[in-house]
Amino acid sequence: MNRYIKFTALVFTILIASCEDVIDVPVQNAPTRLVVEASLDWEKGTTGNEQTIRLSNSSAFFDTTSNTAVTGASVKVTNDSSGAEFIFADQNNGEYATSSFVPIIGQSYTLEIIHNGEMYSAQETLMAVPEITDIFQDVEDGFDDEILEAHIVFTDPPEEGNYYFFKFQKQGELLPDFEVGDDEFVNGNEIDWWYEIEESDDETDVRQPFAAGDVLDIEMYGVSEAFYNYIDILTDQIGGVGLFEATPVSVKGNCINLTNPENYAHGYFRLTEVNRTSYTFE
Amino acid sequence: MKKRNSKKLLAFGSWLFFLLLSSTALAQSYTLNGTITDKSNGETLFGASVFLKGTTIGVITNEYGFYSITAPEGNYTLTISYLGYSEISQEVALTTNQKLDFEISEFSTQLEEVVVTAEEPERAILKKPEMSTVKMNISTVKQMPVFLGEVDILKSLQMLPGVTNNGEGSGGFHVRGGAQDQNLVLLDEAIIYNTSHMFGFFSVFNADAIKDVKLYKGGIPARFGGRVSSVLDVRQKDGNNKKFALTGGLGIISSRLTAEAPLFKDKGSFLIAGRRSYADLILKAAGEKNSAAFYDLNLKTNYAINQNNKLFLSGYFGRDNFDIGGSFGASYGNSSGNLRWNHIFNDKLFSNLSAIVSKYDYKLDLSVAQFDWLSSINNYNLKYDLKYYFSDKFKLDFGASGIYYDFDPGQIRPTSETSAVNPLKLDRKKAFESGVYVSAEHKLTSKLTAQYGLRYSAFSRLGGQALTDYANNQPVVYNPTLGIYERGTAIGETDYEKGDAIETFGNFEPRLALAYELNEVSSIKAGFSRAAQYIHLLSNTSSATPLDVWTPSGKFIKPQLSNQYALGYFRNFTDKVYSLEAEIYYKTTDNRIDYIDGSDLIGQNTIETEILNGESRAYGLELLLRKNEGKLTGWIAYTLSKSEQRTPGGPAGGLGISNGEWYNTPYDRSHDISISGAYRLNDKFSFGANLVFQTGRPVTYPNGQYEYEGISVASYADRNSDRLPAYHRLDLSVNYKPNRKPNNRLKGEWVLGIYNAYNRKNAASISFGQNVETGANEATRTAIFGIVPSLTYNFKF
Repeated sequence: MNRYIKFTALVFTILIASCEDVIDVPVQNAPTRLVVEASLDWEKGTTGNEQTIRLSNSSAFFDTTSNTAVTGASVKVTNDSSGAEFIFADQNNGEYATSSFVPIIGQSYTLEIIHNGEMYSAQETLMAVPEITDIFQDVEDGFDDEILEAHIVFTDPPEEGNYYFFKFQKQGELLPDFEVGDDEFVNGNEIDWWYEIEESDDETDVRQPFAAGDVLDIEMYGVSEAFYNYIDILTDQIGGVGLFEATPVSVKGNCINLTNPENYAHGYFRLTEVNRTSYTFE
Repeated sequence: MKKRNSKKLLAFGSWLFFLLLSSTALAQSYTLNGTITDKSNGETLFGASVFLKGTTIGVITNEYGFYSITAPEGNYTLTISYLGYSEISQEVALTTNQKLDFEISEFSTQLEEVVVTAEEPERAILKKPEMSTVKMNISTVKQMPVFLGEVDILKSLQMLPGVTNNGEGSGGFHVRGGAQDQNLVLLDEAIIYNTSHMFGFFSVFNADAIKDVKLYKGGIPARFGGRVSSVLDVRQKDGNNKKFALTGGLGIISSRLTAEAPLFKDKGSFLIAGRRSYADLILKAAGEKNSAAFYDLNLKTNYAINQNNKLFLSGYFGRDNFDIGGSFGASYGNSSGNLRWNHIFNDKLFSNLSAIVSKYDYKLDLSVAQFDWLSSINNYNLKYDLKYYFSDKFKLDFGASGIYYDFDPGQIRPTSETSAVNPLKLDRKKAFESGVYVSAEHKLTSKLTAQYGLRYSAFSRLGGQALTDYANNQPVVYNPTLGIYERGTAIGETDYEKGDAIETFGNFEPRLALAYELNEVSSIKAGFSRAAQYIHLLSNTSSATPLDVWTPSGKFIKPQLSNQYALGYFRNFTDKVYSLEAEIYYKTTDNRIDYIDGSDLIGQNTIETEILNGESRAYGLELLLRKNEGKLTGWIAYTLSKSEQRTPGGPAGGLGISNGEWYNTPYDRSHDISISGAYRLNDKFSFGANLVFQTGRPVTYPNGQYEYEGISVASYADRNSDRLPAYHRLDLSVNYKPNRKPNNRLKGEWVLGIYNAYNRKNAASISFGQNVETGANEATRTAIFGIVPSLTYNFKF
């Protein structure tokens, strides 16, 4: 629902925007923060034992050279009911890994990181995701009814309050697209979620709509309301915020700093169940 | 608190009564009254001066051209003057009360020597306490260069000190650091909720149908209420009651046509004006799938029942339509209607009763997703205003008004059976706003004049709906662990019966203005005004959009209350050829709504979970130097100002938004310089130019980046702690009136305009993201208008 309204804002911007160009702009530079990418995603049909957590440092906005990997931290996840601990071993490249994680739907877990003498912590519950029942292609739907879009069909569970996070990556493109959804207006319905890449009049825009032979990687996550709120703002702000979109804000994740609360971490500790699949356009 | 207020009111009332009594103890006096109209078309003239020569006794005609002058018995010369009109004088032997109507004529443009003279109120007015106001005559507005050939009142106002917009591509305007929704915009007294077509490219006011425009930036008279920042009072023409007339213009983007004629054997007249853009037709013909269009329609008719009773009926209907490749449509617009009855009780008491309806609505048609979305605000307004011309020293305004509001924040309707969207209706909200006021203009001494008044406003949010209850009565809760504001926990609902008020508010709004004449050419003025605002526009975007929703005060949202203090110095130079106006102001507003990080206002039934109540303050210096006469006329306007807001956590806990610190509002402009000039070379050619420079708009930029989910995520700095690059622009215009025979009724004019003559790419926004090919972060500027030339042909028949 919201994405339609957000699309409206985008359309308005496109309608009135006669000229876009890339310029040099001085920006402020905030002190470095720890970035936690603790996405414990349990792919349907796997054991979910192997998990990786990434730690890095934030950098200046236009910086392209810094090595931001954080090594030497200690990383641990605990099952809040059983007390079972999963130690993530330092891979010395910013990654911390385990192969013994035990995912349980609906279970709450706690993340603990000790880095530079400061202790970071976060708590989250593993959320389920409904199965994808069908994937197909069409041209009729989408914002443009002349180009191909992929359709992902699933049934929202009958109880209210389900939240979804989609990650779409057209093979050959550098950046993925994120979309979020909730069942606010569609609770309990069969949902046909479509994804397309719109044609652009803008010559500088190199993205092309789907054509036969294109492969689309699809990830569909069941997420908590808190993560939804987080990734929703983040998704809105990816690629910049236009004239008719909400003013950008600093997004805070769930990783708090117990030693020095001001020095909270970016990123999120999330536990999800995920559908991962691909679709090849015909 | 309330008790104290009513005591104050009582004291004020007795004082007023005393004043009335003291003023009656005068020598034998008589009253002259009547109406001043334009000889050529019978339009009543607002703001014409009616003076008794050689005395200080005089008055300015009211909105309906009415005047009343009281003076001691004697022989006088009565003089009537008005912009661009020949001054007329008449000997009057004042031995009895008399009714004298006058018709005055415009200078003929055929005359050899044409002197463009600014209207009296456009010069510095020294005697009247009225300050912080701008009155613009349509003829002044029409001299200025325009965008795409459409004369635009709002853009012209933005050339004056203290008035800005929020950048190109945004509708509305901002007055003295106030928000867009804090302006009361009236078209023939009907509330207009959205002042722009096409996101501010054009205003909803068709200049051919408009008679005059007055903006109160402060010192708002007690007869107006409901908004805390300003009042924009726009009045439509009544219609030519002398002869049939056609006015029109053909432009590149749009055209307009106005017809007016007498009715009922010259006892009345009507005006009908239409305007339409046709870019959509061109786009469609060119095979473009997307289109955008607007149109509007103005109607006015009046009928004089007799000398003392006159009826007016006015209407406005405007619409914008967007269609995106058939998969998405949007349409929005204002409509309003007003029936007025002018009644003159006697030579000193003038009254007007108005019954007004107005509506703003929008519709989104998302055929792509098989649903549509409707939203509207309706209001029904009854008001009665009286003006009593007690003596030449004392005039009294008083009256009452009531407004019933019906807010429909939104409904979703599936448009096909296969639609995956469930129907939804957000709660309708109803409210009633009322006001009573009394206000006096009082000449205390020959040098000191005061205008003082009091308004009492009341607002009830009406029942007939259920409201959510929250744990600890907190719709928004601070989460101290994560350091963020979150939506409160709903614990139930309270049902409010129809006929019950959910919440009621009442506020006393004192208004005071003083003018002290230092000498013949200069004066100082001071003013204080307090105002309450009960309805609010919800918008968390950089630019307000036509889809923003209005919401009433109630259980969770408190009325905005503002205090404004202003001090001014006014001076005329060189026999009124030049005038200088300097003002400083300080304004505070309580209960200004602010939005929590990640607030979601779309389809939101519980707005209270997305907002916090904050405050704002603004202060500044405004300078306006005008040249009022000669071949070259125009002005230089400069504003130095600050506008900030602060939102503590309050009942939600925590420090608040941006840690409860003051931060810039999006409409803060440190410097704003506007220069506007018109040069009349001869009868055929005249030229116009506008030059604008403004400090960039406060915005939020990133202050870092980090890797997450395979992309670079921007982390953003404190709200509005950065600024867009400075905005500047030059516009030029040439008017050419071809030779014509004196008795040819058709009068034509070509207008060549160039908007943004040096093609400055002013940033409407700058957005930050990764380049899709290289992955490197970059800043992308969106500029809306480069150089835009236009050619328009205007005619009168």
